[in-house]
Amino acid sequence: MAVDPVEFFFGKEWSDGLPVVPPTEERLAAMLDGARRDPDEVIGHVPPLMAPATVRAIALHAVMAGCRPDYLPVVIGAMACVLEERFNLVLLQATTSAGAPFVLVNGPYARTIGLCGGMGCLGPGFRANATIGRALRLMMLNLGGGIPGVTALSGFGGPWRYTYCIAENEDESPWPSYAQARGFGPMENVVTAIPLEGPVLVWDDASEEPGRLAVAIADMMSALGGGNIYRQADMGVVLSPQHAQVFARAGMSRDDTHRLLVERAGRRLGEIRSGGIWRGEAGAARWPFKVALDDENAFVPAIGDPDDLHLVVAGGSGSPASLVMHGITVASRAVSRTYDA
Amino acid sequence: MSESADFMDPSADHGAHAIVPARRPGTLAGKVLGLLDNSKEQGDIILETIAAALRERYGLARVLTRRKDHYSKQAPEALIEELAREVDVAVAALGG
Repeated sequence: MAVDPVEFFFGKEWSDGLPVVPPTEERLAAMLDGARRDPDEVIGHVPPLMAPATVRAIALHAVMAGCRPDYLPVVIGAMACVLEERFNLVLLQATTSAGAPFVLVNGPYARTIGLCGGMGCLGPGFRANATIGRALRLMMLNLGGGIPGVTALSGFGGPWRYTYCIAENEDESPWPSYAQARGFGPMENVVTAIPLEGPVLVWDDASEEPGRLAVAIADMMSALGGGNIYRQADMGVVLSPQHAQVFARAGMSRDDTHRLLVERAGRRLGEIRSGGIWRGEAGAARWPFKVALDDENAFVPAIGDPDDLHLVVAGGSGSPASLVMHGITVASRAVSRTYDA
Repeated sequence: MSESADFMDPSADHGAHAIVPARRPGTLAGKVLGLLDNSKEQGDIILETIAAALRERYGLARVLTRRKDHYSKQAPEALIEELAREVDVAVAALGG
């Protein structure tokens, strides 16, 4: 009796719950053609199980995720990011929070493969977005052994843990790209992985000047239930092109906007002491900045180091909304790398 | 028409790395207890309470306490090796 490959993979402990494309020698060969790499090259080992992510293994998971061969360079690049020591992937594997690697792609190759950074980019609907992110997760599950209830202790999980990958909307952004702001050239193909929670929508169709628009965005950034106000971590803020234009029309550069959000995002000490995960002096001692603990009105910033804020332009231009993605801890940090397309 | 079984199985061997637990001592009397604090809030209080109870009940020889830099970072190899060398039993704080 022939084995049904779809049911075979559903029966695996590491299944993400959705059907996979069964890998065959032909599909693997076609996938490996998508990148000019030695299949035996080891990109890294996936914690905590530490099975090797060779180019061949990555290609197999890209097949299963439903990737086209021309997506493989991005998948390899994203794996290289999350397997760097500073990303500390074991944190997102084991965390009791719900974080996942958010994958942001800059540069011309994203357009070549149809990776969406515009309307609907967080899905569903775009093969590159859906499958590149999914390939990463399948490797975290299988090669890393990040199985819910076994090693993966996230109480909730979350839809962004299936896949979480977009291109920046470089065409409709009023500014140089996220990657350029980080020191890369405009024609370099760059992939960034950031450890983040899921996105929260900030809807504002009323504010037409930067100071007013910053209010709701900064408020969400410093949410008491979010991962940034009580402890330092990376944070993502994704401005729609329409919101980015509110700042740009007022003559503000990307840096100006970044600075404004960093300055505005925070709470009075009295508020954050009233509940949440206020840890007293011991918690405050971990902050990279000094706050007078006897001053109820002292300002506690949500962003301790400006580099912690990852400001991106994406989404549809007709959407007066932005996204805030809170962080987890400083023990896992964003990584950006060029990748060979 | 079902496909034949000529697909590949990229499953990592999740069983191959099974770790055999160390032998348990028959008694705690005169033994050295290790405490590994993951630095999560109040973990130290829980560990100290456990140590005090074990000291009182069983007469431990010594308690050795070590603390990770950060709860979300793995303990350095050297720290784990030190505990393995120095203690008979260990209690590690996880999660929190």
